[in-house]
Amino acid sequence: MLAILRSLFAHRALLKDFVVRDLKARYVGSAMGFFWSLVFPVVNLVVFMFVFRLIFQSRWEDGGNKETAIVMLAGILVWTAFQEAISRSTNSLIENSNLIQKVVFPSEILTPYLGISGLVNMMIAMPIVLIGVLVFSDVGIGVSMVCIPILLIVQLLFTCGVGWFFATMNVYLRDTAHLIGVGLTVWMFGTPIFYPPSMIVNAKIPRSDLEADGNYDISWMLEINPMHWLIDSWRKVLVENAWPDGALLLRLTIVAMVVFIAGGWFFMAHKRRFADLL
Amino acid sequence: MTTNPLAPVQRSTPSSEQGTYSIRCQGISKRYQLYDKPMHRLLDALRIGGPRSKDFWALKSAYLEIRKGMTVGLIGENGAGKSTLLKLIAGITVPDSGTVQVSGRLTSLIELGAGFHPEFSGRENIRLACSILGIGPEEIQRLTPLIIDFSELGDFIDRPVKTYSSGMYVRLGFAVATCVEPEILLVDEALSVGDEHFRGKCMRRLNEFAESGGTTVFVSHDLGAVRSMCQHVALLHEGEIVEQGSADRVADAYLKRVKARGDERLSMSNREMGEYPRWGSGEIQTEAVDVLNGSGKPAAVFAPGEDLTVRVHYRVRDHVKDPVFGLGFYRSDGTYINGSNHEWRTDPIHLENTQPGETGVVVLRVGDLPLLQGQYYLTSFLYDHSKPSPTAIDHREHVTVFQVVDPDPRQHGLFLMSTHWKVERQLADGETQILKSES
Repeated sequence: MLAILRSLFAHRALLKDFVVRDLKARYVGSAMGFFWSLVFPVVNLVVFMFVFRLIFQSRWEDGGNKETAIVMLAGILVWTAFQEAISRSTNSLIENSNLIQKVVFPSEILTPYLGISGLVNMMIAMPIVLIGVLVFSDVGIGVSMVCIPILLIVQLLFTCGVGWFFATMNVYLRDTAHLIGVGLTVWMFGTPIFYPPSMIVNAKIPRSDLEADGNYDISWMLEINPMHWLIDSWRKVLVENAWPDGALLLRLTIVAMVVFIAGGWFFMAHKRRFADLL
Repeated sequence: MTTNPLAPVQRSTPSSEQGTYSIRCQGISKRYQLYDKPMHRLLDALRIGGPRSKDFWALKSAYLEIRKGMTVGLIGENGAGKSTLLKLIAGITVPDSGTVQVSGRLTSLIELGAGFHPEFSGRENIRLACSILGIGPEEIQRLTPLIIDFSELGDFIDRPVKTYSSGMYVRLGFAVATCVEPEILLVDEALSVGDEHFRGKCMRRLNEFAESGGTTVFVSHDLGAVRSMCQHVALLHEGEIVEQGSADRVADAYLKRVKARGDERLSMSNREMGEYPRWGSGEIQTEAVDVLNGSGKPAAVFAPGEDLTVRVHYRVRDHVKDPVFGLGFYRSDGTYINGSNHEWRTDPIHLENTQPGETGVVVLRVGDLPLLQGQYYLTSFLYDHSKPSPTAIDHREHVTVFQVVDPDPRQHGLFLMSTHWKVERQLADGETQILKSES
């Protein structure tokens, strides 16, 4: 495990170069360039407002004063950063097989650079959320924003761990990339992004197998989903002007570190064979 | 030199005892596991059920020690394990057994321009490529002008790499790999690209590198280059180092092997030659056509200047008045080089009154084979010359093939010519100097 941390530190300059290259590559050759990073969240915000506010007439939570579209936007930005990093990371070893097979290349930096690149893009879009909060709600923004660096680090740790795992799997079995595409979609809709977590707790899925009339309790879905804990913490900070739930954040941090260590170990254990298998 | 841990592929710290070695490979083996289905690989990786792979040993227990400053050649046929050995030395893959010790900053010319991003400019790619090689930002600043200068890309350096020609791409790749001041350079055959001018520049760069005390490992099929550049040569065959030592001795051993194998392979392919055109009235049939070397043994690989003998066996089925055998030599691209027969000569041979039941051999001996390196084939002619225009009795195209391999090429092209060079100098002091080379 130390090996991977040492390697990432040793290659920090390369890591930075890769992140910069990736951010540039997004906009090389496009006329509006960097501006596109802002178009995505703004358009999302407008669409969410139109669909959920005007068409569905929905409120985020009964009695709440939060603006639905902004809560959703915050969630989708965090989710997108994660999803993009994971699906790109899964393919990263194959896409860079030229480097891995022809030069001595620290392939373990690929997943972190994709994770960082995703986070940078997320942070570029975050001001839109904050502007939305100021304009469309009376919550305001405040001092809990100091938590942002912690959330970024935790998110990066979790992303790297998961990313390394699937990148390694994909070397052995190319089906992993397809599996990931489907899996991430399921995961996204299982995470309270377009609906509040309370809707999962109160979900009524009638059961007919037992004589007792009751409902399946699916609130466990919230208990096992680190992405929910992460998105919930982000929302607290960004749109509710509140401190994240301490117990939840602690649990998230521990899980993220465990995932990071396990994913990193799994990757490094198989790394020596990549050049032969690609 | 930077102290970035990536740059020197120093997989073990050299002790004082190893100080004089740049590379020590001790009993390294490399196994590739071949699977029929990717699923099997996964199951094996997860240790579910027994092994499902077939093993392929690309390299078997190779020992190679390379002293600092030496230029070492790796030769052998395709698939002999040369590239695998190079990759193991580079640290791109790891051996299944044995150890590789490398001391000194190593760069490889295994693939020039690996990792260039097509959308970025040459300058940006230099930066990234150097960064991948483990070079720090300040050093990149210092090296960039040298690299740009060597690559001769001019204004193109600020245009995206995707607009480069393949020659420009390779030039940039070579410039990056050699300007970063390596101590050990691994060179694969990739260098045969680019124009004549740049190739010369690359060779000069490699020579300078060797002279300045750099260690080079060099994979090549060009025995001439190997002989002239390398002090030590290792010959690989089916994953084993079967010979190593002085360049001349090992290159000769290699040629001998190529000949032996070539003879075997070509005689096999000769047996499957039925698909080439053959026509004629068939009263006499040519049967086996053998190619023999100077000592009378069947051969398929010759050196320029050797003796070559063709023996055409025939069998007569019916009477023919005036049959004439001939042979045509062609280069593999179809260029007609030479044709002759036994009748159109100052002292012709006439075969008269051939009768059914007769068999025989027609022999053509070529002394001092004047052909240069290449693949050649023979066409046998058998025509009846008793009529005003000769008619085919048995015409067989592509009846056999042979190869000319030049261990020490001094001439290029198709034909070995007897050349005499002379330079007449009118020196500044009025004297005349004549320099001659007769062989």
